Amino acid sequence: MKFTAEQIIDKSAKWVISFFIASAGLWLLAAALLAYCAAAKLTDPFFLSTFEFFTYGKVKIAQANAFVYGWGGNSIFAVSIWIIARLAQAELRGRFLLIASGIIWNVGITLGLLGILDGHMNAHEMLEMPREIWPLLFISYSVIASFIIVTHRSRSKHETIAPQWFILASLLWFPALFIIAWNGLEINPARGTLQAVLSMWFGQSLIWLWLTPFALGVAYYLIPAITGRPIDKYYLAIFGFWCIALLAPWSVVHHLEGGPVPMWIPAIGTVMSIAMIFPIAVASTNFHATAFKDIDIVWNNLPLRFVIFGTLSYTISSYIGVVFSLPAVAKLTQFSIINEFHFNQRVYGFFSMIVFGAVYHMLPRVTGKDIPVGAKSFHFWTSALGVLMLLLAYLIGGLTHGVLAQQPSLDWASSVIASIRPYFLITQIAFVILGLSQLVFVINIWKVLFPNPFQFLNNSSNDSAKNAVA
Amino acid sequence: MNNIFKFSIGILSALAFAWLAFVIGARKQFGDLEPTSSFLEDNGSIPEGAELFPKQLAGIAQQGAKEYISLGCTTCHTQQVRLEDSGFDVERGWGKRPSVARDYIFHEDITIGNTRVGPDLANIGLRSYSKEWLHQHLFEPQSLISESICPPSPFLYEEKDFDTNNAIKLTEDQIDKPRFIVPSLKANRIVSYLASLKQDYELPEMSFIQQDEELIETSELSTVSVSENSDSNLSELPTWLASQIASGKEIYMKAAPGGGLCFTCHQPTGLGLPGQFPPLAGSDWVLGDKERLIKISMHGLMGEIEVNGVKYNNVMAPPGIPPGSLTDQQIADVLTYIRNDWGNSASSVSPAEVANIRSKVKDRAPMQMWTSAELKSN
Repeated sequence: MKFTAEQIIDKSAKWVISFFIASAGLWLLAAALLAYCAAAKLTDPFFLSTFEFFTYGKVKIAQANAFVYGWGGNSIFAVSIWIIARLAQAELRGRFLLIASGIIWNVGITLGLLGILDGHMNAHEMLEMPREIWPLLFISYSVIASFIIVTHRSRSKHETIAPQWFILASLLWFPALFIIAWNGLEINPARGTLQAVLSMWFGQSLIWLWLTPFALGVAYYLIPAITGRPIDKYYLAIFGFWCIALLAPWSVVHHLEGGPVPMWIPAIGTVMSIAMIFPIAVASTNFHATAFKDIDIVWNNLPLRFVIFGTLSYTISSYIGVVFSLPAVAKLTQFSIINEFHFNQRVYGFFSMIVFGAVYHMLPRVTGKDIPVGAKSFHFWTSALGVLMLLLAYLIGGLTHGVLAQQPSLDWASSVIASIRPYFLITQIAFVILGLSQLVFVINIWKVLFPNPFQFLNNSSNDSAKNAVA
Repeated sequence: MNNIFKFSIGILSALAFAWLAFVIGARKQFGDLEPTSSFLEDNGSIPEGAELFPKQLAGIAQQGAKEYISLGCTTCHTQQVRLEDSGFDVERGWGKRPSVARDYIFHEDITIGNTRVGPDLANIGLRSYSKEWLHQHLFEPQSLISESICPPSPFLYEEKDFDTNNAIKLTEDQIDKPRFIVPSLKANRIVSYLASLKQDYELPEMSFIQQDEELIETSELSTVSVSENSDSNLSELPTWLASQIASGKEIYMKAAPGGGLCFTCHQPTGLGLPGQFPPLAGSDWVLGDKERLIKISMHGLMGEIEVNGVKYNNVMAPPGIPPGSLTDQQIADVLTYIRNDWGNSASSVSPAEVANIRSKVKDRAPMQMWTSAELKSN
């Protein structure tokens, strides 16, 4: 039996990718459950309130960490391994070490989340897991990223293209961000609000320099691969890439507007946030000009529909983000639940939707089996509905929250917060829909990855039967 | 772009620019702030013997900060008063002035936060909440602020249905079955931490923001009329409590039918007149048993009475115009007011409590004044 080059590559990566996708799926479910609990606690403060390990703050933080590191990290590994190997036309290297490091990564996150619930939370944004866990995560991440880069370096073609830049950059930026933040917060800790600047910078940059470039890279790969057309105005992609590299690390600090830090920090953040319209415009031109040449394929091809949902969400909500970084608007919204809008649009509406598309695209190629169309379609529509509900509730609720909070005469609990409580209820419903949607997704990918999980039982019983006959 | 090493150097140096600014640059600019005095000499030096700010947090408060973080309070509460241009934090009564970087130099972990689902806590220690109130709020916020969505933390307390040492009585509507809570070590740490959060000093870089409300407050002592919202603290209290206090103040100051005429003897300052009328501010009677206060408010008081160790001998006619005419609601309001002004901070009095006492003494003649001995024997 003869295999094509692609099939050999896919086969070489099959178990590694299966491992990472399967773990990503479990983390997605864990995050969905925690998200529901957090939302339920906001609508009914007495919900599970008697358990010390389950306070609202802990659940909320655990959810963000499970989502970003558990689901985000594992899916980044799975999808980048596949895309980098495919683009390099090279077999995956270091399969055993990759799976071993993957196990360490997942065990580390599990311990970290248990640590948060047990009361060992750190005060730094997106570094809330207990400090003992981080060396473990950092080492396992470095091993995984190194092997992806090794695979990339054994490529047959010297020239690189946009998806490779974005994915490799995101793989390299995360450890760099981590070292900077870890050094400034733990090893050689800064005093006073300098810590807050650094911790906010890390937390926001993680989204902008880890999740975002990765998802953009996947979109740069999948859109031409599925539509069969080259990226329209591809020459702009390199400009977009360097704009993100140069502007994004500066733009994230505008959230400190009016806070106890030197004024230049939020000011420079605002300027750079406005400049971010260039990379946003480039990415959206590249993606949408290419995909919308053929509306039918966007509509009919499910992975592409997911990806385009993600890129549209990226474009629209990034522009909204630019508007919200203007000082006049920022002072209304900066401490409101609009922060939830920013987090969820980026991690759910953009990153996750693109990852769903990528998983649906690569799973049949890697395993040779496909997921039923009905399940995929259900997943798309429920996810789209859930994400839209969630984002609209946080957007409108956030604006209401911010505007009312600026009226000093309104009582806090009975006027300001009471008026956004309906939006908390909507988010709770949205998290139920999303939870169901993700459950269908995870059950289906598990069925494809491990079609017969109890096979070894059958084998052993067959063996014993044979032995008995013998 | 094609060589992975050159590529890495490119993208990492793009990141390094931001690192230079936010870590190296910022550290150089404000990484070594030291405590200083409120006002500097002309040459920029600290005047001799001046008090330095900010101060270290007490040990128990530092431990409280750790508990505060570990429970995840930062998820909903900020601890920063924004600049005047950026928001109305000072107007809301969340601080006397915007917070500056120097305020935080002694905080081991910085909890300035980024979301305000709950109110800002940078100056929670400055607001007129007693420790008892903070404990009750931690135990069950909804018992004090019915609309609150702050999750209760009953796991920090031990519940009792009888009074013991260190126990705190819960404020509830049914007084016939009181509940008590005994704070755990964690709860005490957190409350000490919260009570120590106050930026009540001026720094050379930031002085207090003068507010119009303060002018009204000072002028109001000389006038009998009460303007709505005159007390900036009121906006910090739950609505029902604030409205009880506001209406109580009106009754206290009113010299017309429906009023209490209290201020004529006890004075608008609550200090009374030495030798003649006992003070209400800081009074052991006012802050003490509610039942005695309710009884006095219905029938008045005569004879010798000892307040804070000082003896007075005078007659207090039943309050109200005409005497003894205050309704349950009015008595509840005026008592809640005197228990929560002039530095007093004690639990509120509900109309139900008044009605309960009224039914207990319904056989007493309307103008039969109480004596101190009679009240104490009950």
